[in-house]
Amino acid sequence: MKFEIAKAPLLEGLQKVQNVVSLRSTLPILSNVLLNADKEGLWLTTTDLDVTVRCRVDANVTKPGATTLPVRRMASIIRELPDSMIEVEIDDKNQATFNCASSFFKLIGLSEDEFPPIPKADGNHTITINSGIFREMLRKTSYAASTDETRYVLNGVLLSFKSDKLTIVATDGRRLALIEQEVELPAEAQTDIILPTKAVNELLHILGDDGELKITPKENQIVFESGETLLSTKLIDGTYPNYRQVIPAQCEERVTVERESLLTAMRRVSLVTADRSSATKLTFSKNKLNVTMNTPDVGEARETIPIKYSGKEITVAFNPEYMIDPLKNLSNDEIYVELSDDLSPGVVKCDIPFLYVLMPMRVS
Amino acid sequence: MNRTILHVDMDAFFASVEQRDRPELRGKPVVVGSGPNERGVVSAASYEAREYGIHSAMPSREAYKRCPQAAFVPVDGQKYRLASKIVFEIFERFTPLVEGISIDEAFLDVSGSRHLFGDGPAIAEQIRAAIFAETQLTASVGVAPNKFLAKLASDMDKPNGVTIVPDAPSDIIAFLAPLPVGRMWGVGAVTQEKLATVGIHTIGDLQSCSRAELARRIGAHAAEHLQLLARGQDTRDVEEERDREKSMSREHTFAKDCTSPERIQAVLGNLVEDVGRRLRADERTAKVVHLKLRWRSFKTLTRQQALQAACCDDQTLRETAEQLLALIPLTEPVRLIGFGVSQFEEPGGEQLLLFGDDSRNVEKRESLSRSLDKIRDTFGDTSIQRASAVRIDRNADEDGQTDALPRKGT
Repeated sequence: MKFEIAKAPLLEGLQKVQNVVSLRSTLPILSNVLLNADKEGLWLTTTDLDVTVRCRVDANVTKPGATTLPVRRMASIIRELPDSMIEVEIDDKNQATFNCASSFFKLIGLSEDEFPPIPKADGNHTITINSGIFREMLRKTSYAASTDETRYVLNGVLLSFKSDKLTIVATDGRRLALIEQEVELPAEAQTDIILPTKAVNELLHILGDDGELKITPKENQIVFESGETLLSTKLIDGTYPNYRQVIPAQCEERVTVERESLLTAMRRVSLVTADRSSATKLTFSKNKLNVTMNTPDVGEARETIPIKYSGKEITVAFNPEYMIDPLKNLSNDEIYVELSDDLSPGVVKCDIPFLYVLMPMRVS
Repeated sequence: MNRTILHVDMDAFFASVEQRDRPELRGKPVVVGSGPNERGVVSAASYEAREYGIHSAMPSREAYKRCPQAAFVPVDGQKYRLASKIVFEIFERFTPLVEGISIDEAFLDVSGSRHLFGDGPAIAEQIRAAIFAETQLTASVGVAPNKFLAKLASDMDKPNGVTIVPDAPSDIIAFLAPLPVGRMWGVGAVTQEKLATVGIHTIGDLQSCSRAELARRIGAHAAEHLQLLARGQDTRDVEEERDREKSMSREHTFAKDCTSPERIQAVLGNLVEDVGRRLRADERTAKVVHLKLRWRSFKTLTRQQALQAACCDDQTLRETAEQLLALIPLTEPVRLIGFGVSQFEEPGGEQLLLFGDDSRNVEKRESLSRSLDKIRDTFGDTSIQRASAVRIDRNADEDGQTDALPRKGT
């Protein structure tokens, strides 16, 4: 196996795939990247047995072949090489040599036979969506997913393909983020799947702003293909909770507030939190919002921001982190906060089909 | 290099705090706990009261019979915690390796502090002086090469004394030899009785008896454990906690190793209520539940489970504890069961949930538990009980077992 490849695209390819590899892998082969050189160029593949990522890099292949090399070490070497063409040759003992300008490296690899098989995108139907739009949908929701391992079905996001709409939902039982997008769905493509958080993070990492993303759901598996990059992942097996029931049908009051000023205020007051159970009090009164934080033994903070509001005065307490999350991931200038009372869920909305339901904290 | 471990034990802590704050009680028998006509128990007794045979965990009525002139003072947890905080802050000045055992005692590993503050006895005196200067309370200290010996020693010259255990192994063996075996950790009434049948009464007897003979009586594991302790060998580290009040727990050792799942569950229920009550009295909520089981063989299991949200009501704690218990096959008679909670969260910051347990339900559970607390505070600990606990108690009486819950005294 022999090829010549430019440094920059090879490094870019390695950075795309190396995240999947866990730092402490049980099987040595899982620390390696599979390299396949053929007439199309060089294919890089990594897997942790749950998530598999593959991408293609242009290369002048003079002798096709395949091998596996430790991906992190390879990436750190390539990163430090001079910015020019690299000659790579791999012998039949899976030893790779890299020649680049005046640098020489040799890396010991493992045979490709040991590498787990790569899942194929051979489902019954494929859904197509803009790659950048899909990435933004994940970004605006995935932070709400649970990290509590005992709540297995919540350790990911729900992708619901129903009636020409893709709905993405994430919740940890305390807050819930939901976003919708119209897509063309073949009748047989109506399905609900739970995408594990690791796959979500990889998608956020590898998806570009533009181009088509092809989504192919299969039994217990889903494949995402965008250009020459592919991600395949196992799905979370389980029933997602009925999220519709926790979205308030109607709230009594609606507040309009500048996203950036609320975000800044929340960030500032949260500087006096003691631990993660601290609550920030938000008092909505006529055209004025007071955000206060009072932590015994630490101190207190108060911020006042202008809002558009003429309803009754409401004071409600939220975990500041949970309030900051949607604010920092949205990009709208103005958002709406809907409320009823201090123990009912608050809802954050904006001028896109997005909503965020947040349960308050009870303070004495 | 030899370690230097201190065991610092406050003298009659609750009672001393009361005597400090109320000069009229000084020099008089003081009983902290339930009132003389209540069915509760004594939490702590001053040294004056102890002369009448009053001790912690004794029913208050019994205490009253023994010493009607004693002052009965209700427990004021907040006041004791404040004093305890000051004392623990003093410990931290001498070493970061502080392992709090309860509100009023701790192990300190001062091995690394000797070049700063002098040897073990010198540090012990400095700590005692600081405690007295800042809280007007006295403490007794044991200075030894390990935890077991330090703990034994702190009890030898109480109140207001320092006992130093020498470093040399032969001196340690001589120091331990005359002590009754009951003074050793892990030797309760049952083991003591078993040992007595083979003529072992002192730690010295234990040092000289044959391992095989001992193993036949109490099991190989326990025999090895006891003989190491009898020679004063104990390698356990002082395990410091960043925050000493990071957990709360209760344990119960069965008078007879227990094989009945119902009984174990009922005792667990009592332990849960005890911890829950303390948690609510402290106005705190906990996020993690711990269960501990010790088999007859002394093998110990611990299990823990995080709750969805921090809570302080008995029902949630009990359900979680019972789930943990149900996962453990009862393959052997149970010697001890323990229940604890950790990861406290201050109240007033309770996160409400979107699904399932709606907030009103949690509120109801908590308010039920608090009502029970009030009833027990007013009418005594056993004034209201779960039916299962009552039934088990009745059965226990028939077995001739008395399994009154142990109460941590001072």
